[in-house]
Amino acid sequence: MNRTRRLGLVGGLAAVAVAATPFACLWADLARDAEPPPTNVVVDIAIWTAVFGTPAMLAAWLLWRAWWRQAGPGLSGMDGPGWLLAVARAALPADRREWGAAMAAELAQAEGGAPRWRFAAGCARAAAFPGGNRAAVGVAVALAVAAVAAAALVTGAALPAGRVFALTFVGLLGGLATLAVARWRRLGWTAPGPALTGLALAGVAACLGITVYYLAEHPSYDRAGHAVAVSLPPVTAMVLAVALAGCLGLALRPPRWLRPDPKARWFGIAMAVALVGGFLLDARLVQPDRDPGSHGMMGYLFNGPLLVILPGSALAAAVGRSLRAGLWACAWAVALAAPLLITAWLAEALHWDQVGRGAVLDGAGPMGVGANLGDAVWWLLIFLALWAIPLGVLGAAAGSWRARRRRSRQQARLAPTA
Amino acid sequence: MISFRRPSEQASAVVLALVEEPAAWRYGYEPCQRLDLRAGSLYPALMQLADRGLLETAWESDVPADRLPRHLYRLTGPGRVLAGRLAAEPPARPTPARATGRLRRRPRLEGT
Repeated sequence: MNRTRRLGLVGGLAAVAVAATPFACLWADLARDAEPPPTNVVVDIAIWTAVFGTPAMLAAWLLWRAWWRQAGPGLSGMDGPGWLLAVARAALPADRREWGAAMAAELAQAEGGAPRWRFAAGCARAAAFPGGNRAAVGVAVALAVAAVAAAALVTGAALPAGRVFALTFVGLLGGLATLAVARWRRLGWTAPGPALTGLALAGVAACLGITVYYLAEHPSYDRAGHAVAVSLPPVTAMVLAVALAGCLGLALRPPRWLRPDPKARWFGIAMAVALVGGFLLDARLVQPDRDPGSHGMMGYLFNGPLLVILPGSALAAAVGRSLRAGLWACAWAVALAAPLLITAWLAEALHWDQVGRGAVLDGAGPMGVGANLGDAVWWLLIFLALWAIPLGVLGAAAGSWRARRRRSRQQARLAPTA
Repeated sequence: MISFRRPSEQASAVVLALVEEPAAWRYGYEPCQRLDLRAGSLYPALMQLADRGLLETAWESDVPADRLPRHLYRLTGPGRVLAGRLAAEPPARPTPARATGRLRRRPRLEGT
């Protein structure tokens, strides 16, 4: 086995191990909480965890294999500084790519371990901050600090329950804006099209609006037999802020590799709308026919991605004739759906509370409506990250199978003549 | 449009080093070694100079098969004018950048 194949195998196994880690933690957490912990319950949990973890592990393996097939032959011949420089080059903005090639060519001139590492580390720093306008960076930092201070003042006076969320969200936006000013030579408009940007902005705005409403009207809730709990604990607030800032960043200035495929963007929009529409239909039309308190939207979290993301990504990959087209469609679908689903969940929770159906997640009650805020953030983000994205990867791999097979046949035909 | 604003200390050092042989094309690693400048300071300085039209860049044309073509640099006309102005100025007072070792040695200016 040559070095490229050996490194590919090791990297693939490492990717699978990383993908399995959240599921192993989940299994350990659930098994610990099972009271009493009989062996069959623990085994039951292990089987379910393995079933839901398998798509993530398979997806990690497929993604690694697809990436290594392209990048492996070049990377396997490099030493550590070469790898560092390759990562740094990939991080350079589009208008600085030529400089990445210049740095890579000069690395060959540095001889010896320490000089090579020093040169590669310097290039990595230059790639991260390739010299924007220093005055503009200073203005961006000052504006970011002022915005965070204003957020602290406003939430301190008007919305104390939202302080952590507001500070994190505004701070992240300020950081992203400063990074953009520091990295790009010209701040051109690189949004991925009005429909996608509009939908993402609408989703983030709606999510912000309903979160503020919850924090103002339902800042805490009663837990039967326990102390009153806050609706948006600090860690949950930070996770929500990171998710919303990430969606906003993607909608306004996506990375260059996510931009070029318009068909994938439309597939992403369609999947996001279908996922949210399905959620609302299930919550309004299907759930009321079931026994109150016995069902919630947990089932939809499993079935929605299976019915929408898996076939949608497969179709996008088949139409785009590449794995990449399916992956980008899945990425856009998840980024667009996250704020919209949180909004839909929280809006439905108000309705469910009025008709006495309990929590949206599992119909459990009676509990304050504020409990839905933490449920919506954690469960939706967990399911989107650990279930929907892996299904999207599997769909993209299935959809692009014919195209990849055709390409490898063509390569095989060309090989003897070359 | 060419800007004659004084560039950063690192960029000034690169300009003064390149003007020693103004017609010659230079490689990137060369100023790194000569000025004891780290790549993290050199490349942003080169980018800044190129963005301002003070530096001309090109790719090496006759390249052996076993290595990548290298990027070449030399000052443009306005770059040389700026170099003349920088050379005529009194030496700048030490700045935190030099004190922290990012630029540890001033460039040799032969003939000035």
